[in-house]
Amino acid sequence: MRRLALGILLLLTHLCEAQFGSAVAFPNSSKKTVLDKSPEFFVLNWKQGTILNRSETPMEIIVDSVGAQKVNIFRDNSDAPVLYSSNIITPVCADGDCRLMHITLYWTLLGDYAGFDRSSEEPLTKHDHDEFLFSDYWKLHELLKDHNSILKRRAIDELVTKPKPSTIEGVDALSGATIKEVKESVVSGALYSCYVAWHLVHGDIKDQIKAFTVAQQTEQMWIRMLNSEHTNYQMYALENLTKNQYDTNFSRISTLFKSGIPLVRSYIIKNLADSFSKEPNKMQPFWDALPYIDINTRSLLLQHIDTASEATVTSISGQLSVLTKNQIRDFLSHLENETKISSEILKNLRAFADSSKEKNSYLVVQFLEDNS
Amino acid sequence: MKKLLIVTLLLFSSISLFAQDVLVEAESFDNPGGWLVDPQFVEQMGSPYLNAHGMGKPVKNASTKVNFNKSGSYHIWVRTMNWVPGEWEAPGKFQLKVNEAVLDTVLGTRSGWGWQYAGETKINKKNETHIELVDLTGFNGRCDAVYFSTNKTTPPSSPKKLAAWRQELAAEPNAPEELKTYDLVVVGGGLAGCAAAIAGAEQGLKVALIHDRPVLGGNASEEIRVHTEGIYGNFERILKKIDTKHYPNGSAESKLDQQKRDENVKSYDNIDLFLNWRAYDAISEENSVKYVDARQTFTGERKRFTATYFVDSTGDGWIGFWAGAEFSYGRESVDTYGEYWEEHGELWSPKEADNAVMGSSVLWGSKDTDSPQSFPEVPWAMPVSKDYAEVNGEWQWEFSRNDLSQIDDAEEIRDHMLRAIYGSFSNAKKDEVNKNRKLEWVSYLVGKRESRRLVGDHIFTFNDAKEGRKFPDGVVIEKRAVDVHYQTVLEDEKNPDFISEALFYRGPQYYIPYRSLYSKNISNLFMAGRNFSCSHAGLGGPRVMLTTGQMGAAVGYAASLCKKYEVMPREIYTGYLQEYLDLIEEQKYEKIPTSKK
Repeated sequence: MRRLALGILLLLTHLCEAQFGSAVAFPNSSKKTVLDKSPEFFVLNWKQGTILNRSETPMEIIVDSVGAQKVNIFRDNSDAPVLYSSNIITPVCADGDCRLMHITLYWTLLGDYAGFDRSSEEPLTKHDHDEFLFSDYWKLHELLKDHNSILKRRAIDELVTKPKPSTIEGVDALSGATIKEVKESVVSGALYSCYVAWHLVHGDIKDQIKAFTVAQQTEQMWIRMLNSEHTNYQMYALENLTKNQYDTNFSRISTLFKSGIPLVRSYIIKNLADSFSKEPNKMQPFWDALPYIDINTRSLLLQHIDTASEATVTSISGQLSVLTKNQIRDFLSHLENETKISSEILKNLRAFADSSKEKNSYLVVQFLEDNS
Repeated sequence: MKKLLIVTLLLFSSISLFAQDVLVEAESFDNPGGWLVDPQFVEQMGSPYLNAHGMGKPVKNASTKVNFNKSGSYHIWVRTMNWVPGEWEAPGKFQLKVNEAVLDTVLGTRSGWGWQYAGETKINKKNETHIELVDLTGFNGRCDAVYFSTNKTTPPSSPKKLAAWRQELAAEPNAPEELKTYDLVVVGGGLAGCAAAIAGAEQGLKVALIHDRPVLGGNASEEIRVHTEGIYGNFERILKKIDTKHYPNGSAESKLDQQKRDENVKSYDNIDLFLNWRAYDAISEENSVKYVDARQTFTGERKRFTATYFVDSTGDGWIGFWAGAEFSYGRESVDTYGEYWEEHGELWSPKEADNAVMGSSVLWGSKDTDSPQSFPEVPWAMPVSKDYAEVNGEWQWEFSRNDLSQIDDAEEIRDHMLRAIYGSFSNAKKDEVNKNRKLEWVSYLVGKRESRRLVGDHIFTFNDAKEGRKFPDGVVIEKRAVDVHYQTVLEDEKNPDFISEALFYRGPQYYIPYRSLYSKNISNLFMAGRNFSCSHAGLGGPRVMLTTGQMGAAVGYAASLCKKYEVMPREIYTGYLQEYLDLIEEQKYEKIPTSKK
């Protein structure tokens, strides 16, 4: 009961925050030279107790009519780089009305968006001068996370043009995708602020930051990235690790194969192609992950069926439900090439073929007919 | 002719002496009623079929009459499939009515294409037998054929055996009886095919344009409704005859442009237009296409088309494939052509080649009405749509998966999209705000972006676009950003797998060389459209329809010069390039074609 009450209290607090903002005063990060807690809006994991120290870099962001804004780097106690940051003051102009926007932006080591802090003295405002609600900041955070936003490929004036309405057959709801997509992704009444912020985050500075990181990268940095929950870090590490380093970090890599996003999984499996034939036993964690991974990766994994152990093949024959039509076909054609199909596999195939709930059972029926 | 193919009677002499067999192809029914003839998947499932595409409301009965030679008791099978087998009622159920009796068996309930036993009936040869398909759901029930036999032996289901069985039953000779001869045969009447036919015809070629739909335009047609993107390049005059306005994708405004396009193509006396004709074979000898065979999608009538030159604008590169042209499919490894783009890394160009391609869309839309509108429950759609709710579908509604071929598995891809659409609309209907909303239009045709790409003397790549590389034979010009799609589920498995995202590379104006528009190893074969010679990433920009239309016009003019000098496409580049470029320049201006004087 006490737990339930606590849950309700937390939920209410959360809902109130969404509308009216955090009850806790947010930090004014522009003056901070030490970060001892996570930026307010942040995409990376923040380990408790982390303390980061700010130092300068030669990088700058030039803002029209304001000038150069410094880009700083935050390092941990071992002097390893962790985050980049810049305290931005930039004009935002809409219909001739210009205001200054204050925001502290953060980038990852690879130049991706990492988060932002609001300014306690100069909160962001909308077109009608209303201050951003917490939910508006949250929406801005979501927008900035989208590296491929529609804001990237459209000039600002293209985003405010309404499409011509359809004139025939009364199909009235096919409004322009552009406008709809923009509406869904930006803070209502703050298109210009969103546009400026997005282009600051995803502008030329991205490449400069990445180059700055690359110039000081070490194996330790890759390993930290590999162990991060941030997808781009995982991919970057996987792209850079040598074969030996793959071996050393095999445990983490096999975990990532199960827990990572499909893109990471497919990259891993493509990189380990040789290991399947040379070290089939070591690859067992990958085969064990078969039912839990996405379809595309599963197809890539099944390309190695010829090197799988008999136990693995038998195990797959009992998991045909998780395979797609073409994956079952591939698996059956592998069996067809085998000199002998074990009685256990045959038993599994028959059970699948006899099931009235399996939409692809007909494939196994045909296979058994042809191979009996 | 039609009668011969609709209803065929055969006396099987071997196994079942004196058995009587009648095969009725559903697409040849006298009156399809509300069912639609669907020929999209002929290569995979063996035949066009009737599709009860009622968007949730049962369609009107399809009907036909059959004459039997022998009275007796006949067993009946229907070739059909349950397109979403699972723990729910099959979505596409229907029944068969023979004369006045509706047979009890509910059809459309077997998994995978094959014969479902419908029952037994008495037939009197003195009377015409009436057959009707009675749709029960409006959710894409499908019927390929109805088979009557006095012998209770189920016809074969496996594609190979079925094809042989059909051939035997229809007693068709191998070659079509009618032979048509042209200067240029263009297969595929999308923008590229239309432009090729027009350009060739304006230069005096006798042209056949073979297209498997009743209307021209392919993805731009009123049946698929994608607006034409890109620039006109050197061919504005021609492309304006067949393009579309820039209305939202899926808009019914496509109908106005449809009319313009069809009328303009038909206005050329020297274009013989074969609508509802689908090519099913092409034969080459000594690396040269000799003929293309095509079949009328309703009647089954066949013709053989011979020509000096052929254009493959089928999209899927079928003519090249049948003729033995080199082709590619999927994504090349990043090292193959050096198509690396750091910003998107593996998503743009993979370390190792794979089968990923851009997906197919099925566009759809709904409208608000003045009164409440009901929509049936669709439990069979929910595993795909999950809790996604939407009332319209734009280009982002797109599906691809590496285990599915955009050619061989196109029916499964289309069906996946139908489940996404019906499920998402059903979810949206649960919101009070949509109570008056009515599902207005759902395409049943797959709008493909990428499939087989035929290999030419030059393979157009992302780098050609990125660097704006100039070619001496750069006949197609484009400045639209290179735009490659991926499924958002690859980045976040919580996303629906039927929604895609575009990666845009904004570069300079770029050029596609003429050498990418004819086959490397089939000497008289041009290609225009998405099956032109390019890499996966290279296709990203030029795949849109004004660009493919430019390709079509470019090969139409090239074909006219080929005929003038009695040479093959490659020789236009090696020997007549300046004259070709001059011809392209000269055609920009309106003049009265000889055929219309």
